[in-house]
Amino acid sequence: MANWHLLTVEILTAALGLGLLALGLLVPHSDRRGIAYVATAGLAGILAVAIGMREASGVVLGGYVIDPFGTYFKILFLVAAMLTAVCSYDYVEKMGLNQAEYYALLILATLGMMILASSGELVSLYTGLELMTITFCILAAYHLGDAKSAEAGIKYLLLGAMSSAIFLYGLSLVYGSSGTTVIREIGQQVATRGASPALLLGTIFILAGFAFKVTAVPFHMWSPDVYEGAPTPVTGFLSVASKAAAFAALVRVFFGALPDLHNFWVQLFIALAVLTIVLGNLVAIPQTNIKRLLAYSSIAQAGYLLLGIVSFSVLGVGAVAYYAMLYVFGNMGAFMAATAFYNNDGSDEIKDYAGLARRSPLVAALMLFSLLSLAGIPPMAGFVGKFYLFMSIISRQYIWLAILGILMSMVSVYYYLLVAKAMYLGNPPEGSKPLQVAPGLQVAMVVSLLILFILGIYPTPLTNYAMNSAVTFFMP
Amino acid sequence: MITLNHYLAVGGLLFCIGLFGALAKRNAIAVLMGIELMLNAVNINLVAFNHFLAPDQVTGQIFAIFVIVVAAAEVAVGLALVLNIYRRRLDSNIDDLDWLKW
Amino acid sequence: MLQQYGIIAVFLVGGAATAVAALAANWLLRPKKPPEGDKLATYECGLETQGPTWIQFKVSYFLYALVFLLFDVETVFLYPWAVQFQALGLFAFAEMIIFIGILVLGLWYAWKEGALKWL
Repeated sequence: MANWHLLTVEILTAALGLGLLALGLLVPHSDRRGIAYVATAGLAGILAVAIGMREASGVVLGGYVIDPFGTYFKILFLVAAMLTAVCSYDYVEKMGLNQAEYYALLILATLGMMILASSGELVSLYTGLELMTITFCILAAYHLGDAKSAEAGIKYLLLGAMSSAIFLYGLSLVYGSSGTTVIREIGQQVATRGASPALLLGTIFILAGFAFKVTAVPFHMWSPDVYEGAPTPVTGFLSVASKAAAFAALVRVFFGALPDLHNFWVQLFIALAVLTIVLGNLVAIPQTNIKRLLAYSSIAQAGYLLLGIVSFSVLGVGAVAYYAMLYVFGNMGAFMAATAFYNNDGSDEIKDYAGLARRSPLVAALMLFSLLSLAGIPPMAGFVGKFYLFMSIISRQYIWLAILGILMSMVSVYYYLLVAKAMYLGNPPEGSKPLQVAPGLQVAMVVSLLILFILGIYPTPLTNYAMNSAVTFFMP
Repeated sequence: MITLNHYLAVGGLLFCIGLFGALAKRNAIAVLMGIELMLNAVNINLVAFNHFLAPDQVTGQIFAIFVIVVAAAEVAVGLALVLNIYRRRLDSNIDDLDWLKW
Repeated sequence: MLQQYGIIAVFLVGGAATAVAALAANWLLRPKKPPEGDKLATYECGLETQGPTWIQFKVSYFLYALVFLLFDVETVFLYPWAVQFQALGLFAFAEMIIFIGILVLGLWYAWKEGALKWL
């Protein structure tokens, strides 16, 4: 018998998702609030199991790789899913739809990401990718009463399907030129046979597919629209977790199957990273909607993460893993603040944030410190993450790239501080009341604020874990 | 004799036609049809590679079945969303989806 | 090679000739008087049509079609399993039971949420 116990996390997640769907059919509509709590508690339980399994490693059925790297990312997805679930309580209730469906989709999207992060084989990789993409289409279009939400869903679906078709064409070419779909065996075949034109073309197509998922310029066109239209908690989840999942799979495919071509694809990644960092930061400046601003800022963050891939080293992969984790808290923090504000005022415009600090110090502080972390200001966690990313490329003699990244980080401080200026120096509109924030969301806000500080001041345990998980890809 | 290259040429052509359709058409359903062509091009590739390179294994064929099923799920969600928009606006032209500026 | 194409050509010609021969025989044998009465109705031996045919279908029709499409395509996984049933053994059987269980959950869901109700 195979070593099934390695799949515990995935099996539990699938069971939780399907169970919630069934539960939603059994309990009457009026009692469905409880489902949100069941979903959160279930995710917390699975998170505990995943943390317990963080050192486990092995291969299931020849193509599904459980290793510390995959488990690290699973922990990340579960944390993000939990924050999203907590953040969704009021938002989903207001939409008045079947809540069980929403949480089941959220958990099944998490399952797709887990499969994506751990599959060592192209068919399951594709299946995981599509499970994630299709559930996100439904989640993005979940706000049925809102025309923008439906439009976000259809845009994500059409562009996502097109990009995954291109990705798939690349997979078929890689399969054709190596004769296998197992990533490790592809690596061996490439090492013995060398590069063929079909393989290089396949590499480019796969790269384009991943670039779409991580919103790298010039494949980013969908993201501001989808981010603006989708329900705010879903946007938060989409921007952190799906991006992290795509990075995990990207590392697995390019470092596992194509390390011998790295002189070729590193050039492409450098071009993508430069475009992404420059364009993401510059286009963010004139934005007036907080969700669009965060969309462009998260495009820029993807550019920084690409730097870790460019460095092609343990330090680089570890930095990507570490940065992805604190990006969860930074970006989810900003989106939690945006959700709380939307629940009260029904607006996403930055000018409406005027005087927020006086109406709700907690929400304003969370927004401010999350944005500072994204900008990479010490002592916030983002500083440590960016430090490792820039170190990894400097150690590869790409000093000009590091300087560009630091310059663009300074640009990002400007537009982040515009939001802070509105919140702290602006005057609240006449007759505005203090923000009402649900206790659960308040707890999540305080926790993520604390974690941003802790990871910034004492990052060693997490960076050690991230670096150790990255070693897998550089062992013979 | 029909060789692997013939199949790959058909696959490549079909992929280009599909990509052109997906990019040039303005109707959401036509875009979905273009995407279907692209996926079927991939299926031709997979089955041809399977037949000519590793006929004793069926990896490519199984992969093609997965592609078919996932494509069906994608189309079902896509049509449901188009239907939702159509009911609201009696139109499925993607140029008119302009609440979110492009 | 060329001979094989020759066989195809013979088949094509033979097939076309059969169709033409059948049509010609009908034309020779049929009565030569113009049609009248029920002969001119849309369905000669069915119900009279009510109203124009170019009407909008109900949205629930599309829901039906979508649900059908999904369940129809999912069964494609059953064919390879059924062909290799003996070789794959108990493990694949258990997997397939789980797979069908998930499909049944989906069907139950569609049923409960009213997607199968014809209003």
